Amino acid sequence: MDAELLSDTFVDLADTMVADFDVIDFLHVLTDRSTALLGASAAGVLLADPRGQLRVAAASSEAAGVVELFQIQNDQGPCLDCFRNGRPVTAADLAVADQQWPRFAAAATAAGFYGVQALPMRLRNQVIGALNLFASEPGPFRPADLRVGQALADVATIGLLQERHLRRSETVAEQLQGALNSRVVIEQAKGKLAERYGLDMDQAFRLLREHARNTNQRLTDLARDFVSSAADFPLPDQAQPPRP
Amino acid sequence: MAEDRVVELWGLVAAHAAAEGRRVAVADVCAVAVSAVGVSGAWVTAFGDGGPDFVLCVTGPVGERLAELQLTLGEGPCHDVLAAGAPVLASDVGDEESGRCWPVFAAESGRAGAGAVFAFPLTVGAIRAGVMGLYRGSAGPLPGGALGDCLILADAATMLLLDAADHGTGEGAVLDGAVLDGAVLDGAVLDGAVLDGAGLGGQALDLALHRAEIDQATGMLTEQLGVPAAEAFARLRAYAYASDRRLAEVAGDIVTRRLRLSPDARLDGGP
Repeated sequence: MDAELLSDTFVDLADTMVADFDVIDFLHVLTDRSTALLGASAAGVLLADPRGQLRVAAASSEAAGVVELFQIQNDQGPCLDCFRNGRPVTAADLAVADQQWPRFAAAATAAGFYGVQALPMRLRNQVIGALNLFASEPGPFRPADLRVGQALADVATIGLLQERHLRRSETVAEQLQGALNSRVVIEQAKGKLAERYGLDMDQAFRLLREHARNTNQRLTDLARDFVSSAADFPLPDQAQPPRP
Repeated sequence: MAEDRVVELWGLVAAHAAAEGRRVAVADVCAVAVSAVGVSGAWVTAFGDGGPDFVLCVTGPVGERLAELQLTLGEGPCHDVLAAGAPVLASDVGDEESGRCWPVFAAESGRAGAGAVFAFPLTVGAIRAGVMGLYRGSAGPLPGGALGDCLILADAATMLLLDAADHGTGEGAVLDGAVLDGAVLDGAVLDGAVLDGAGLGGQALDLALHRAEIDQATGMLTEQLGVPAAEAFARLRAYAYASDRRLAEVAGDIVTRRLRLSPDARLDGGP
């Protein structure tokens, strides 16, 4: 474990929570750092939608295959089990036969992931979602890493639920819906940007995020203004689209 | 689990419309919200350019008063849902926080007979169609599980509003006051495409069981077609419906750039 990166991570997360807080940006810092700190190849935060499903609020990669892997867990998978029982769930080797979640294991190994860990996001008695870690090699995550992972999941929960716009908010559900709706706006903006400049969704997201930071705007506000054409989006020189 | 409840609730909405002898309309969603969620009344306010614009339907006089109060005062939970992009659940309009947030509305809504007011945004990301409001005569939170039902019904109302806006002019113009005068929604203009048939065209489920590709494809179409997001979304759904495919599937083809739509809808070939 990189101690310096760990302390930087908590400082950055605290900073994100103090300044113009954007919940999706915050969760992305969390998934990015989870991969860097915990030796995971991919990480994602799934939140419970009261309509009865888990939805991806942030993923360390916006690539379609990775996001799909998180989404698939609405049917079966460690994340769903973790969310249902509120406890960590480990699948150390997804390649062996007799998988507990055959459909999920097949999709994960096809995407190059052989180990997965789900950590609950809990607020008192309520489970609001889970942090998902994927490894490209079989074998469990180290216990020390998992303790840090759970601490990150707990910080994410607190960060998510302390988010208050300039409004009242009686319930956790109101705040979670706000986060999930932000995600929809950002997906729309990614699509618009990807189409305009010939980018993939990962590149579009990075560009969106950089522009939000450089211009000191909340990611969701920028995305909404861009989609509704209230704001244009200059392509920065350093982010030329790749040649196909 | 989730899918079953979506089918059940959309089925209730369709059945209510059938019993009234009309095409499915936002009024049917309001009626089902009252019975399924166990509240005293419901209303839907449509959006114009600037914000809540006019009351589209109400289930009774108290709801009408609450909806109009918020339009007149420019304050209340129906305004806040837009800023928040999330539901606003005021389980007691007589409490301190409600009084602080909405000094006039809180007092007036109590006088009008409301104890609790719950407001839900009728939006798809940056696309804003309106607000659905519910009230109960007595204070108290929504019962457990009711929030999910409210969100599913809000999705239904959103789709109906967007369809009405799309069909109202025949050209897929964005929602505006002139098109949505209420008569449009109650009349034969809505073809209920989304709700027709046992399969719901696949679209209702796709929308309730969220897929990121649908939002990404909507964003891509705003550029491809040079249209506002509401219209891009309508074109996406129209294409899926016309080609008899799942919305998520068509969206996936657009995101992976296997499919492009033409600015002229008539030129969109079959799949």
